Amino acid sequence: MNPDMKPMYLPEVENNPQPCFQTDTIRLLQAKGAEYPQILHLFAFRPEATAHLTRFTREVMRGDAPLSAGFRELIAAYTSAKNSCPF
Amino acid sequence: MPHIALPEGFPGISGPMVYRPETAKPLNELAQALLRGHDTLTAAECELIATYVSSLNDCYYCQSIHGAIAAHHLKGNEQLVLDVKANYETAEISNKLRALLAVARKVWQGGKQVTPADIEKARQHGATDLDIHDTVLIAAAFCMYNRYVDGLATWQPRDTDFYRWRGAVVGEEGYLNLRREAIATHKAE
Repeated sequence: MNPDMKPMYLPEVENNPQPCFQTDTIRLLQAKGAEYPQILHLFAFRPEATAHLTRFTREVMRGDAPLSAGFRELIAAYTSAKNSCPF
Repeated sequence: MPHIALPEGFPGISGPMVYRPETAKPLNELAQALLRGHDTLTAAECELIATYVSSLNDCYYCQSIHGAIAAHHLKGNEQLVLDVKANYETAEISNKLRALLAVARKVWQGGKQVTPADIEKARQHGATDLDIHDTVLIAAAFCMYNRYVDGLATWQPRDTDFYRWRGAVVGEEGYLNLRREAIATHKAE
């Protein structure tokens, strides 16, 4: 594991990624020794729930709508900044 | 009156969900995955966490409908739902659920407020990592659902019997049948 990364509160979540594209991404980044966002572990732990969040995000951020994808990302980035969530 | 022109006659979240079915579908599927319970966390417990967070967010519709669904799973014990909302520390619930509600409250205050001590306390009372995971995701998701419902100033009827009736329907049938939701609203009128 990358030395800059701290273990998560929930080891069972961190240690039990299920088959999904987030797990593939985790493996790829771990193999490179890269630092990576642990939200990937959250999405990989219980995909039967979180896959819906992925599809919701895809629809609301990239779905057919008048607001451009860039502007939608700006709203998301602004809200995340207000919530002090750097990722 | 809603801030945007939503289809009339659909209370709370069902208004914007009928308005935008593309985003409604995964939101309902998430609710279904999170609130129907699993081996170590019952549907009633999941609904109580959702109800409690919605009451902290002062969302009338969400705390009423999920409170009614919780009461349905609790064989009609509406008093317990009221007790949890008023003060979960003294309500007649398991110490595990009490500790999980404390975690949910921290998530409501802000994700960074959850401490290792909060997690440890939940574990000491028998919470699994899956229970803690689901509690955090229910609390976070309901902060989203509550803001969605109130951010658009949706219509939220004050008729307790409506919530009681619909709570029983959703309690039995789950969250995936949007068509049924439309019928439910029609009957309530």
